[in-house]
Amino acid sequence: MTDERIKQVSALRRAMIRPELGATAGTLLVFLFFLLIAGDSGMFAPAGIQNWTVVSAQFAIIAVGACLLMIAGEFDISVGSMIGFAGIVIAILSVQWGLPVWVSILAAFVICVALGWVNGMLVIKTGLPSFIVTLAFLYILRGLTIWLSILTTRQTIIGGVKDLVQNDWLAFLFGGVVLKDLFAWFADIGLIEKFVAGTRAGQPVVEGLPMLVVWAVVLVIFGHVLLTRTKFGNWIFASGGDAQAARYVGVPVARVKILMFMFSAFCACVFATCQVIEFGSAAADRGFMKEFEAIICVVIGGTLLTGGYGSVIGAALGAIIFGVVQQGLFFTGGESSLFRVFLGTILLGAVLFNTYIRRMITGER
Amino acid sequence: MSAPLIELKSIEKHFGPVIALSGVTFDVKAGECHCLLGDNGAGKSTFIKTMSGVHKPSSGEILVDGKKIAFESPRDAMAAGIATVYQDLAMIPLMSVTRNFWMGREPEKRFGPFKFIDFDKANKVTLEEMASMGIHLRGAEQAVGTLSGGERQTVAIARAVYFGAKVLILDEPTSALGVRQTSNVLATIDKVRKRGIGVVFITHNVRHAMAVGDRFTVLNRGKTLGTAKRGEVKPEELQDLMAGGKELAELEGSLGGTI
Amino acid sequence: MRKTLTAIAAAVFAVAGFAAPASAEGEKFVLISHAPDSDSWWNTIKNAIAVAGDQMKVSVEYRNPPTGDLADMARIVEQAAASKPDGIIVTIADYDVLSGPITEAVARGIPVITINSGTVEQSKKLGALTHVGQPEYDAGFGAGERLGAAGAKKFLCVNHYITNPASVERCQGFAAALGVELGNQMIDAGQDPAEIQNKVSAFLQSNPDTNAILALGPTSAHPTLAALEQSGKAGNMLFGTFDLSGEIAAGIKAGKIDFAIDQQPYLQGYLPVVFLTNLARYGVMPSNPVNSGPGFVTKDNIELVEKLAGQYR
Repeated sequence: MTDERIKQVSALRRAMIRPELGATAGTLLVFLFFLLIAGDSGMFAPAGIQNWTVVSAQFAIIAVGACLLMIAGEFDISVGSMIGFAGIVIAILSVQWGLPVWVSILAAFVICVALGWVNGMLVIKTGLPSFIVTLAFLYILRGLTIWLSILTTRQTIIGGVKDLVQNDWLAFLFGGVVLKDLFAWFADIGLIEKFVAGTRAGQPVVEGLPMLVVWAVVLVIFGHVLLTRTKFGNWIFASGGDAQAARYVGVPVARVKILMFMFSAFCACVFATCQVIEFGSAAADRGFMKEFEAIICVVIGGTLLTGGYGSVIGAALGAIIFGVVQQGLFFTGGESSLFRVFLGTILLGAVLFNTYIRRMITGER
Repeated sequence: MSAPLIELKSIEKHFGPVIALSGVTFDVKAGECHCLLGDNGAGKSTFIKTMSGVHKPSSGEILVDGKKIAFESPRDAMAAGIATVYQDLAMIPLMSVTRNFWMGREPEKRFGPFKFIDFDKANKVTLEEMASMGIHLRGAEQAVGTLSGGERQTVAIARAVYFGAKVLILDEPTSALGVRQTSNVLATIDKVRKRGIGVVFITHNVRHAMAVGDRFTVLNRGKTLGTAKRGEVKPEELQDLMAGGKELAELEGSLGGTI
Repeated sequence: MRKTLTAIAAAVFAVAGFAAPASAEGEKFVLISHAPDSDSWWNTIKNAIAVAGDQMKVSVEYRNPPTGDLADMARIVEQAAASKPDGIIVTIADYDVLSGPITEAVARGIPVITINSGTVEQSKKLGALTHVGQPEYDAGFGAGERLGAAGAKKFLCVNHYITNPASVERCQGFAAALGVELGNQMIDAGQDPAEIQNKVSAFLQSNPDTNAILALGPTSAHPTLAALEQSGKAGNMLFGTFDLSGEIAAGIKAGKIDFAIDQQPYLQGYLPVVFLTNLARYGVMPSNPVNSGPGFVTKDNIELVEKLAGQYR
């Protein structure tokens, strides 16, 4: 008893109904644009590629957490403050208290994930919008961060981490560089330039693959597989799509949402740890506005602000677009203040496009 | 016919001073479609929620397979084989048919230390179950939002049936549908009934009820006015009962003295 | 789909229109500051590099982290190095954060001059050719000496950029010159004028024995002045500020502000461009670091300064 009035769906239309589509097209366009306009500026030389790859990877790390949380139907805008907070915690514990760096990092992760749990519990128990609850934490954590650092050091920036991370096994996982031999070989065969002066003369300008990028790739793959291939992923979609319907069939919506808040905090802590280890210092203003940048990546990537639909791969592509455009404008020598104009425009375009996609899926007109 | 799968006797439900149900007697047997008719505000929703374990009755008793039982939660009712398909269907339009069908009970396969959803199995079963209800989907991966209202209703019914419902409560399944969609859903009800499942069909549309029902009970102002078998009652009479406009004496004859 | 395309196309045109460098002829330099977009003080340096660029017939790009996040600034330095300019001019806003990217730029053979924040020692360690700036602690100390001589005992340091370590050093130098602990006499003022004004008012009400104020720049000085005027204390409070602006100059003339510490930012923008151009063309470079400040602007020399305040002074 098939309803013969249902149109056969064309392959094109089927391809359209994927959350990543807009981001995929956007990524191609952005690369095309910069290849044309900035192809000879060093942007696509190894050091240039490393530059925008690292920036994109940073965005991707927090975007994965924001993406899964948004699909589960919630926001976390305390991510940026969480980054500053986690960094200061690591720096205070290791530099001021003299704890080993790996202990400090683990402590920061425990504290951040616990804060994520608090965020989630407050949202679930009070029934308040997560926007408001995490907005409160945006201020609370930023304030605590500045207060803690002033209290312990009379400064808002705590340096000296760099000397401590040498030979620390856990610090390497966040700030290290892998595949050095491969990159040295690239340099030997002339694929990568070498330093010409200073103590590092003769070494390749790109030492290897930063762990930051490895983290981004691992988190994106983890998030994608979790979301699309597992039972828990189905529950994430269900919790964000219609929490009441999910509860009817026995999905533990509260647990799913709280876990996603914790995962978002975890991602923020990964971001913070990589940053502290790489730059050797933590500052109270780190991570400022990062929550919105994460949300922008996610939305460009095709995830609906209302939850229940989206893609981690899309969010990762959103992060690439964001990173490439931000750094690329510098390579073109363009006025960097226009970056925000571009960002706002692309965000608006992405949201309009996503709304259109959703109409196609649900068959609304 | 056999003994009732579920039997509710003189159920009353009070919310503070408000009396929502004041004596409802209802039962459903295996393989029959028992229609519960009532106008808006007659107490249909409260009654469904009592039968599906959301509310506890203030007085009266519920028997499942002849044994007295008290549902503490919807989960208890589900465990006893009583599945409810609510008017809003509990479907998520943006998710695929498969994901909706298996939501909360996803089949898994092991891959090393990890467990993933067994999509091959999930899609196959979904398509089979839908086909057995007479709906042939293009693909199980299509979003529920692309389905028509009747098809969505069928997904919800197929889901309940597949997961072992003995009694299926359908809350106004045809109220928002067009003629053709409605006939599809009524055909689905017929298929479910033939599998030996007891169907409780809640509606305020007498014609829909007459099309598929084996027995008819009218609910008015929180009370059941009696149960009639198919062929014992005319549509006009049911209509009048729902409106509550006829004299009791006049009704007595046609309903076989069950008031 | 079409909407995304339109959006991108619009951005393409917008960027293309601005992509042409200020001067097409000659060498290409990049100046990277740590200041957020909202900091108007850097206009002087932007004007200075425009003047120097015109005079030397080189192009100089100005870049900064939009929110003032120094980790973002480090990425900009890396990016600048990757675009292979003929020279980089950069502030050492935080040595720890920037040492990696700056030494890598130096190691790639790019001439680097450090300006503004940071010390001469740090500049040398990074391998920069020279440093043009004002020692922050010393500048704060000098300000403390002046106000201390005028009778300052209990003070308020209005810090609108508390996350920059150099800003804290200024307050610390000031406290040291007065021979007191900084303690809670420094407030985190934030960047919003109304907020700063209210925070200053609140501090002065709860600490009525405060008799001196140090503001760290126009961002904090303007609202502080407004707060003093509102409470009728303007002119009765010892008030020194870092940096100049039109409003600060007027305040000095009116006797409401005792002095402004002028680090002469124009020189921090102008000189490095001249140095780098001459290095590129003739291989010459001064051998000593340049102290562009501190110079004190008071009622006595304000006439000269006022005309150009906010643009070149």
